[in-house]
Amino acid sequence: MSFVEQAPVLIVILPLLSAFLVNMVGLINRRYCLPFAILGIFGSFTASVITLIRIMEHGVIHYRLGGWPPPFGIEYVIDHFNGLVLVTVSFVSLLAVIFSKESIKQELPEKIPQFYTLFVLLVTGLLGMTVTGDAFNLYVLLEISALTGYALIAMGDNKALVASFNYVILGTIGASFYLLGVGHLYIMTGSLNMANLLTILPDLYSLNVIFIALLLILVGTWIKMAFFPMHGWLPNAYTYAPSAAGCLVAPLVTKVSVYIMIRIMLSVFSPLYVYSVVGLSDTIVWMAVIAILSGSILALAQTDFKKMLTYLIVAEVGYMVGGAWLASSSGLTGAILHIVNDALMTLCLFIFAGIVIYKRGGQQLQDLAGLYKKMPITMAAFTVGALSMIGVPPTAGFFSKWYLILGAIDAGKYHFMAALLVSSLVNAILFFRVIEIAYFEPKVDHHGGDSHKVAIDEAPLSMLVPLIIVALSLIVIGLYSGDIVTNIIQHSVPAGL
Amino acid sequence: MIWQLDLSILTLIVICAFATIMVKDLLSAAIIFGAYSFLMCLLWTEMGAVDVAFTEASVGAGVSTVLFIAAVHQTTRRVGFRKSGRGLSKAVGLVAALLTGLVLVIAEKDFPGFANPFTPASLHVSPYYITQTLHDTNVPNMVTSVLADYRGFDTMFETAVIFTAGLAVIAILRRYKKDDRCDLPDPHVISAGYPDTIIRFVARQLVPFIQLFALYVVAHGHHSPGGGFQGGVILGASFILLAISYDSRMIIGRMSEKWNILLGNIGVLIYAGIGFLCLLLGANFLDYSILSKVLPATDKIMARSHGMLGIETGVAIAVMAIVVSIYINIVSCGKYDKDE
Amino acid sequence: MESIISDYNYWIYILLMMIGLYAMLAKNNLVKKVIGMSIFQTAIIVFYVSIGAKEHATIPIIAHGHGHGAVEAAIDVTHYANPLPHVLMLTAIVVSVGTLGVALAICLGIYRRYNSLEEDEIQEQLQ
Repeated sequence: MSFVEQAPVLIVILPLLSAFLVNMVGLINRRYCLPFAILGIFGSFTASVITLIRIMEHGVIHYRLGGWPPPFGIEYVIDHFNGLVLVTVSFVSLLAVIFSKESIKQELPEKIPQFYTLFVLLVTGLLGMTVTGDAFNLYVLLEISALTGYALIAMGDNKALVASFNYVILGTIGASFYLLGVGHLYIMTGSLNMANLLTILPDLYSLNVIFIALLLILVGTWIKMAFFPMHGWLPNAYTYAPSAAGCLVAPLVTKVSVYIMIRIMLSVFSPLYVYSVVGLSDTIVWMAVIAILSGSILALAQTDFKKMLTYLIVAEVGYMVGGAWLASSSGLTGAILHIVNDALMTLCLFIFAGIVIYKRGGQQLQDLAGLYKKMPITMAAFTVGALSMIGVPPTAGFFSKWYLILGAIDAGKYHFMAALLVSSLVNAILFFRVIEIAYFEPKVDHHGGDSHKVAIDEAPLSMLVPLIIVALSLIVIGLYSGDIVTNIIQHSVPAGL
Repeated sequence: MIWQLDLSILTLIVICAFATIMVKDLLSAAIIFGAYSFLMCLLWTEMGAVDVAFTEASVGAGVSTVLFIAAVHQTTRRVGFRKSGRGLSKAVGLVAALLTGLVLVIAEKDFPGFANPFTPASLHVSPYYITQTLHDTNVPNMVTSVLADYRGFDTMFETAVIFTAGLAVIAILRRYKKDDRCDLPDPHVISAGYPDTIIRFVARQLVPFIQLFALYVVAHGHHSPGGGFQGGVILGASFILLAISYDSRMIIGRMSEKWNILLGNIGVLIYAGIGFLCLLLGANFLDYSILSKVLPATDKIMARSHGMLGIETGVAIAVMAIVVSIYINIVSCGKYDKDE
Repeated sequence: MESIISDYNYWIYILLMMIGLYAMLAKNNLVKKVIGMSIFQTAIIVFYVSIGAKEHATIPIIAHGHGHGAVEAAIDVTHYANPLPHVLMLTAIVVSVGTLGVALAICLGIYRRYNSLEEDEIQEQLQ
């Protein structure tokens, strides 16, 4: 057995195996849980990086599970696109699991083994959805990540239970619509393998049922990614989740759903079908515009810091859906790059929120007051994340937004460009308000503001290190985004756009 | 297939679905839902999907109903009347349902006819399973061979799903602190409130036979309907039967929380472990044919057959433990420490 | 009329789907919502299993299939129901019971804290 050859399946299997080990060592001593969780996710990260390098050298990798040839067996297909997403997902989860150490000790000390097992299983589900080339296998992993997500969110405070119940109902509708869409494809073609479907479907493009299959799958993924009119479950669920869970769920679940949507558009239906034959582009870009604007406006109205971030996620989903449906190669490039950037930005902001909750015990905007003096390093990292959200160069957020705007101009969809600019402006207002509170307003203590000199009181190292790494990576990705686009993303954008 | 039978079962199903939604008492709703599942199971047998029917009988009509009853027992049977001014959600529900219905009806026009043996679904991919199952795996039940071998990877995650669910229920409900509020008189007893000797005696006598049958279902899944999942649920059901006829403390004494969790883990690990063993021996993940290297006197085809038996055993162990665990957690609302 | 009689399975699945969806979105009681969810999921199972049905076909188990490579010849594909949808739906049933367990657990947790299963009463307390 060679590690490199088996790396595609190890990406998923290592976290799966480590989930059971975490659970079993948790019966002996719950302190052993975290190392095993880190080990599993780190192994997965290594395998993802190796796979991505191999793809860049040799092109697309196919892996037959059980040795059966497709379409009879299940196949893993990894190209540049999901290679990149795999590295992102495993990287983000690695940082999130390191962050969780102190926060989970404070918030859920009794349920550490269950928490980490569910955490690693969620990572498994997300990676499995990304790596697979089989439409039904994707559904099974979608459900694993959904079930773990429900439970992780429900482990939060009392309000979290109600939020989680809504998520169960809507999440099940989403997953079932996806399954129903796949069923419509199956009844017309007899196949479940994505590559096989891509070759069979062109003969059937004129049929209504194929269009409806696309529609069902789209609505399913939209509910999962909280695309605007279907976003109702997200803000409460992510706000009241335990902060360690929020750091994994918020950056990744919506992004992987966006990945699924683009994967289905490009690799099951074809760019020709989704952009030319069905003529949905205009409608969906308008929906994205509405999503961006309403997400931004709702974010402005919040006084709860974490809730504000959740509405920003709703707006960001609009970016990616809109970019994917612009039907231009820069738009698609921007959407794919934004999957990576947004995962990292959201992680940065949610880790920051987690640190604030850990230190101050609250997540209102007032709780941020005076933080610059108390936690200079944390605030520096947060500032990088905030600038990236606004889209200030050289942070990563600027470049994906740049490609999205280019795409909007190429496609002649100026309303989408306008929405992007308005949303950047709103983000600027939001984050400068936060920075203002944290910089100028002193924290009102019980002592009544007697101390002129505030002692530095930084977050624990296990929280600070992931935050610094993610902030640095935002700058590094920003600086190298040209290379990422030419070496990786260009290969996954279809030529004829 | 007899279309008259099909149609009448379907009509009854729709009536049950309406009734279970409309009825103003949750216990009745749970029982009607059990009947609904049982009718589903008949429908599937009638359409030739025996394995699906078997699973539905054990899971849908069996475990789901028991879980519903346990949940209702822990909460309330009451269904309140909606207060005024909440017509919005009704309107949303109605519009969503009608819109979905409309879209699906349009799609239905393009479907190939029902029960036609020459549809794309029957001509592409699936004929390979029908003609090659014996040749490739020596397993005559093609549902088993597709489930455990051709698409065995799905099934591994299916087992992981049930494991996740069990763990999720523990994560959500379990309470370790002693002072947590629990205002129900005795959360462990689900019976009428008095010990019934006849029920207890009969249940006790039945359990060994149920378990023997479950083992047969697991072991004979290659040749007849059934397999690890169904067998595991039946094994779990035998314990739940004891828990219902006595009280759940009796089960907690025999299958402690630690053992349950451990068994659940071991079951899934057997599955993933066999897959990983194949990988270590030099083949792809879950390619059982390579196991002929380590199993004495087996060729590649028989190795596949034995590999499937191995993973079915793992599935059965995991499912049994998890079903019991979910039941105990729900019926006791997460509070079942021994010293209580 | 012809198409209704020949495709009744597909019509019924659409009807069940609508009932389930309506209950999930419109019902006030959480357990009723969960029941609606189960009906919604079984509707999809009806759809898939109907895809696999073939007229005059038997169950997907090869008769006299014992022994090593016994019957090489004469396996008529139209003679057996399509096994693939059955396999997929076994997975879907398992998924639906998993979701059911989690949903009921959340209901119990909610009842423990808010002492109610009615959505409007819970919302009142949340405010």
